[in-house]
Amino acid sequence: MIPDPPPVPYSARSEWADVVPIPQYEKANPLAPILYSEEYKDATDYFRAVVKAGEKSERVLQLTEHVIRLNPAHYSAWQYRYETVVDIQWPLESEIALMDELADRYLKTYQVWHHRRLILVLSKKAKEELAFIAKILQKDEKNYHTWAHRQWVLAYYNEDALWAGELDFVDTMMNKDVRNNSAWHHRFFVVFQSGVREGEEDRQRVVRRELIYTKQNISLAPNNASAWNYLRGVLDFNKLPLSTVTTFVKPYTVPLPEHLVDLVDVENPPPGKGAELPCAAAIEFLADVYEEEAQKESIDKAVALWKSLAEEHDTIRKKYWEYRIQQALLLL
Amino acid sequence: MNDAIPKFARVGHAGHVNRCLSGLPGSQVEVDSARLALGFYCLGALDLLGVVQNKTSETDRASWREWIWEQQTQGVHGTGFRPSPFATPDSPIPEPYSDYNGPHLVMTYTALLTLAILRDDFSKLDRAGLVNFIRACQRDDGSFSIVPGNGETDLRTLYCAFCICDMLGDWSGVNVEQALKFIGTCRTYEGGYGQAPFCEASGGPTYIALASLHLAPRADDTLPLTRVQRTKSIHWLIHNQHTSGGFCGRTEKSPADACYSFWCGAALKVLRTVDLIEAESHASFIASCQFKFGGIAKVPDHDPDPYHTYLSLAALTLFPPNVPGEGPVPKSWEFGRLDPLLNGSEETIKWVREHAPAKFT
Repeated sequence: MIPDPPPVPYSARSEWADVVPIPQYEKANPLAPILYSEEYKDATDYFRAVVKAGEKSERVLQLTEHVIRLNPAHYSAWQYRYETVVDIQWPLESEIALMDELADRYLKTYQVWHHRRLILVLSKKAKEELAFIAKILQKDEKNYHTWAHRQWVLAYYNEDALWAGELDFVDTMMNKDVRNNSAWHHRFFVVFQSGVREGEEDRQRVVRRELIYTKQNISLAPNNASAWNYLRGVLDFNKLPLSTVTTFVKPYTVPLPEHLVDLVDVENPPPGKGAELPCAAAIEFLADVYEEEAQKESIDKAVALWKSLAEEHDTIRKKYWEYRIQQALLLL
Repeated sequence: MNDAIPKFARVGHAGHVNRCLSGLPGSQVEVDSARLALGFYCLGALDLLGVVQNKTSETDRASWREWIWEQQTQGVHGTGFRPSPFATPDSPIPEPYSDYNGPHLVMTYTALLTLAILRDDFSKLDRAGLVNFIRACQRDDGSFSIVPGNGETDLRTLYCAFCICDMLGDWSGVNVEQALKFIGTCRTYEGGYGQAPFCEASGGPTYIALASLHLAPRADDTLPLTRVQRTKSIHWLIHNQHTSGGFCGRTEKSPADACYSFWCGAALKVLRTVDLIEAESHASFIASCQFKFGGIAKVPDHDPDPYHTYLSLAALTLFPPNVPGEGPVPKSWEFGRLDPLLNGSEETIKWVREHAPAKFT
């Protein structure tokens, strides 16, 4: 690809002849000076000049876009751009269209998302926004800013129509990668942290549904910390003891039996063929169940499980398992 | 762990950050709006390596101090530091800031720490103005924005505000109770914290939240966390150590990244746990992130940068390896001590706590 030729400097453009550029303030010997490109220096000299003059115009939108493309973290250019959009009543659809491109290009820059949020508050196009986010997440399925933006859109607009598609959306993401913790987190947010919506009033049914959903996912891929954390989260949030799922957990704490029995048990789905067992997360879970019982005999069982983690199944956390043993023995 | 850990290339790492201090190529222009933070990572790295005095000249240190003070700016929202003069128009004498080149909360925190590393006497600090600036950044929900007005807000800024209050010994500029409530809304079912309410638990915000909870002034009989919360946080943090020895920032998000060694490791320190981290495996991971010409990268075979170099050093300072083999630990893996709440060497933090507060004479 042939690179674009450098644009004509503002100083050589007749439509900017009325503006006197202002260089950057710099008196002391700078720390970590940046060797600015001529293009950046030129654009920011004009940016400082229009800010000083208080000009808000279409050409300021072009100028700030130019500065932002050269330095997407230039938060002052973003801020001035936003105020210009509002001041000259620039069509919000065209601003969002530009933001669609810039979000894609500078996915990990804070300012891109912050500006987008400010524009959305004005445009109120929340439904389209969820579709856009879904598209962006295709490229980077765990991008933090993008998920945070989705959570903000849902919470800020809080419309039933927006929430309605969220569980299906989570499923789509989870089907692609069952270890996508962002998707698991989002599910928790949708189901438990955003109020109770129509059809979800029967909370016991919801909890049962979530437990089954999680157990099924664990049976398909047992060594998935996201699913185990979700399981703990559901129980904890609904004030259910860990022992609620002991029957389910136990088969995951031992090696896979040679002959699997082909049974369908919705409440307690067994490990699937080829599962890598025993699973450290299951052993830890069962040890916690025993610890909750707080009896001498059960603590002994927990200690044995922690020892197996320290010595065999999860040696990187050896010190942690020894600490757990020590803490539990103190309780006795 | 029997494999010998390679040498820790102290001289190379000092060289990397020193090169950044002397100048950056135009391709790094994005750093301009966070240049003070970059300065902190570079000088902080030299501080943790114990070489500020012998790897920089007194002339340089004096001119850096002067440049940092030049970023202190006064105006309608009080006084603080801007990241660099990137948005400030040239003028014969300093002018009050406008709405577009005012102080930045995160940069103000890094400016104070960097001045302490440079052993400045803080006689130029506008303390009353600083308190006003912090007040102007706090929102009704308890959070803080990076600049007064419409700026971004998340947990980072809250931590920086708390650190500044702690350094000044003056909390009159913040509504602590409201801020603590905001932190609470960022906690997730996993035991970590997200960067804003409803967000996924991540290493950075979790350190920020836990350190802030422990920095906040509180009545003697109250705890920053309940026992159950603390247990859950430890569980989440410790599970972020990956089999490679490094840390991941979120559940099931590998590979490990050197910066999370600090965010997760320091968070565990803040919770005052005994040493739970497998320090030798961790040191092996950091060793593998060393760039052959100096500096530490986020993952092996990547370009180094001052951010990952500083945070790796800070993590190693918190949990140095007990290097296997006969005889004493090789000198290259020896470190001083770090204050896990304010994130600086103990000497530097002692300096800032002595010199930043107002003197009543």
